[in-house]
Amino acid sequence: MYKGYLCLILHGHLPFVRHPEFDYFLEENWLYEAITETYIPLILMMERLLDEKIEFKLTMSLTPPLICMLKDQLLQNRYLRHINKLIELCHREIERTRWQPHFQKLALMYLDRFLLAKDTFIRFNNDLVSAFAKIQDTGSLEIIASCATHGYLPLMEITTTSARAQVKVGVSVYEETFGKKPKGFWLPECGYQPGQDYILKECGIKYFFTEIHGILHGNPRPKYGIYAPVYCKSGVACFGRDWESAKQVWSSIEGYPGDYWYREFYRDIGYDLDFDYIKPYIHPDGIRINTGIKYYRITGSEDKQVYEPERARERAAEHAGNFMFNRERQIEYLYDVLKRKPIVVAPYDAELFGHWWFEGVMWLDFLIRKIRYDQKIFKLITASEYLQEYPRNQVITPSLSSWGWKGYNEMWLQGANDWIYPHLHKASERMAELVKLYPNENDGIRKRALNQALRELLLAQSSDWAFILATGTHTSYAIRRIKEHILRFTTLYEQIKSNSIDVEWLEDIESKDNIFANIDYRLYQ
Amino acid sequence: MKRLVLKLKEKIKNLKLKKLIKKRKLKSKKLLFKEEQFPQQIKMEETKYYTPSVPTYYPKVEELPLGYGEDRLVLQTRDPWWIHAYWEITPKTYEKLKTELKEDFLKAKKVLRVYDVTNIIFDGTNANSFFDIEINDYANNWYIDTKGAGRSWCVDLGLRLPNRFITILRSNVVSTPLDGPSWITDEEWMVPEEIFARLYGMGLGLGLSSPVGKEWHKEIKERLFQPLASGAVASWVSPVKKIEKERKFWLVVNTELIVYGATEPDATVYVQGRQVPLRPDGTFSLRFALPDGVQVIPVKGISKDKLEERTITPVVSKETR
Repeated sequence: MYKGYLCLILHGHLPFVRHPEFDYFLEENWLYEAITETYIPLILMMERLLDEKIEFKLTMSLTPPLICMLKDQLLQNRYLRHINKLIELCHREIERTRWQPHFQKLALMYLDRFLLAKDTFIRFNNDLVSAFAKIQDTGSLEIIASCATHGYLPLMEITTTSARAQVKVGVSVYEETFGKKPKGFWLPECGYQPGQDYILKECGIKYFFTEIHGILHGNPRPKYGIYAPVYCKSGVACFGRDWESAKQVWSSIEGYPGDYWYREFYRDIGYDLDFDYIKPYIHPDGIRINTGIKYYRITGSEDKQVYEPERARERAAEHAGNFMFNRERQIEYLYDVLKRKPIVVAPYDAELFGHWWFEGVMWLDFLIRKIRYDQKIFKLITASEYLQEYPRNQVITPSLSSWGWKGYNEMWLQGANDWIYPHLHKASERMAELVKLYPNENDGIRKRALNQALRELLLAQSSDWAFILATGTHTSYAIRRIKEHILRFTTLYEQIKSNSIDVEWLEDIESKDNIFANIDYRLYQ
Repeated sequence: MKRLVLKLKEKIKNLKLKKLIKKRKLKSKKLLFKEEQFPQQIKMEETKYYTPSVPTYYPKVEELPLGYGEDRLVLQTRDPWWIHAYWEITPKTYEKLKTELKEDFLKAKKVLRVYDVTNIIFDGTNANSFFDIEINDYANNWYIDTKGAGRSWCVDLGLRLPNRFITILRSNVVSTPLDGPSWITDEEWMVPEEIFARLYGMGLGLGLSSPVGKEWHKEIKERLFQPLASGAVASWVSPVKKIEKERKFWLVVNTELIVYGATEPDATVYVQGRQVPLRPDGTFSLRFALPDGVQVIPVKGISKDKLEERTITPVVSKETR
């Protein structure tokens, strides 16, 4: 008999970066790299599992910015340009490494991967969201919704309307994309502020996830710790993240991704090779960047050794076995103590798999197969299925919490980024004012301006900008984005109020910040 | 009657809470939740936004306004112990105060008065307690150490004179979360202390060996709030355990070999048996990473009508000393 469940969640998110005004824009590479290294490998993995009829249950969030970018034609075409360049570089690499068979083997491996990525991309008519939707329809994958632009909700406590708009727009993008209502919701950065569950309730959401202490420090004390969901007073269920399984992946000492046989993320031929040779494949201004072709393994010393895919694969299988073993013991123990089937909740950033942890998708693949065939202690499950089996749960108020640095709001509220809040709060207030002034606008131009104002406000609210400011490296792009969206918002606000909308300019920013094609500004209430 | 009982219960809870807060204050160590615990997670997230250096091609963006010409004081929660206040005072308000207070204006100290308004509806006079923080004239925001978790706070920005306090701005009310598990259990979902202690420790990744007994709170926390991986932040640049280098100087040398040549544009050229694409003018060039040892590189050209053939064979030997 199975004694419990593991709920794996992959949180897929990238901030909205799209610059039609430039022919080449470096930060768009974030998307292209994630497509090649994470999203396509995940799609292929799930397709293989389905093909081989291997039962699995996964949960994934795809945030609205990610959905909008994956569905955007300009970015789709630019991705093809990007992958074609990489394929060309691979061919040159295969030639160049002719006398170094260990390297040539890797160049061939990358060529295979890039060709497969391109084929897969084209197979889904350049629309990877449709691929995820198709897999969701099989019942093995549950896609959950998230905030409009990954806004960090606890810091919208004083502008609740913004928090509500983040959720409402997020849910409406989900419905538009997948043709049904989302059951679950991913709170950006697991940021939960007591009471905000009412917003989720209003939007028909059944459950969300928090960081461990969101539940453990909740009130009253949670009887089952984090191994059963609780209901908030609104009736929305809340599942807490398990640290033990998180630690196995994230710990800098024991964590799997640091294994010496795994591929080293920070050694890339974009930096390693002769400038004249690599120049056509890096930034057009001659700035060296990552290409995605990396030949070394972590090694454990500065004298990096050549990557050996077979050894790395063995390690991924071992790590998957280790992870499973630990969950078996954990779940067995919990079952004895709790007298009911526990759920162990393990959420990760999707982009961890394949991008940073090159072998991550392989690990996941091994893990899913092993769970299916090598043990009988626990099964994979989604949160909504668990709620069907255990509809009766304790009611508590979870604590303020996030999965960010130090567990609360500090990552997004510190010396490096606190200057953004006066502007964000003011713009939120002004947006509310506009909606009050024009509760039902029919005038085409003004309506467009109101919609665009909401787009600009939401874009400024992405938690990504505050996060980048906090990390303190290469902050110029994040600063620029916050300023740009706030300034565009302010101009729109002034033009709308003074009835002097500059249509040409409006069209220009509509074409640049074209996220949420069908947004309705009245969601801001 | 029922209400009264409830109120009483609340009061008792409050008392307990206060006691516990006092107890906690005695513990000198601040409880920092998972500080430096998962630097890898942050690091990984960071790699999503990877950019190599400051790109230079952005057109300049205008600056944001310094203020919005409004009096306001906003409070936000940072964590169980700290709250953040930011404010703007208009010159008009200043002038008004100056006229009203006359010479007192210069004597007055500008302070943030932090009210503990836990479980009350604050009317300006009924705070549980308060403390003042003197601030300078240039500050427009402040991080406030409230020294107690799980409370509600309200802040006045004001002027303090020996005999009175003048409120300039009053903030919104914020609540801070508890920094440990709640002391409140509900009857229906009661759980023995020991079991909860185990679950608590397990949830936080301490395994099955969580301590039990009276001291569990303390013990777990002491273990919990120690950084999981000491020195973890030093490995900021790499997922590997960083090996400290004594000095930073370094040198890397690699060699590559360029083989190039020319023939009739319509000829066929093979290098080490593999055909090479020719440029329209009949030239070609190849680039190889050159390892130590001897490389024999036969280059064979064949005319279009296949009647003529030439082979030239460079032999390259490389040695690294």
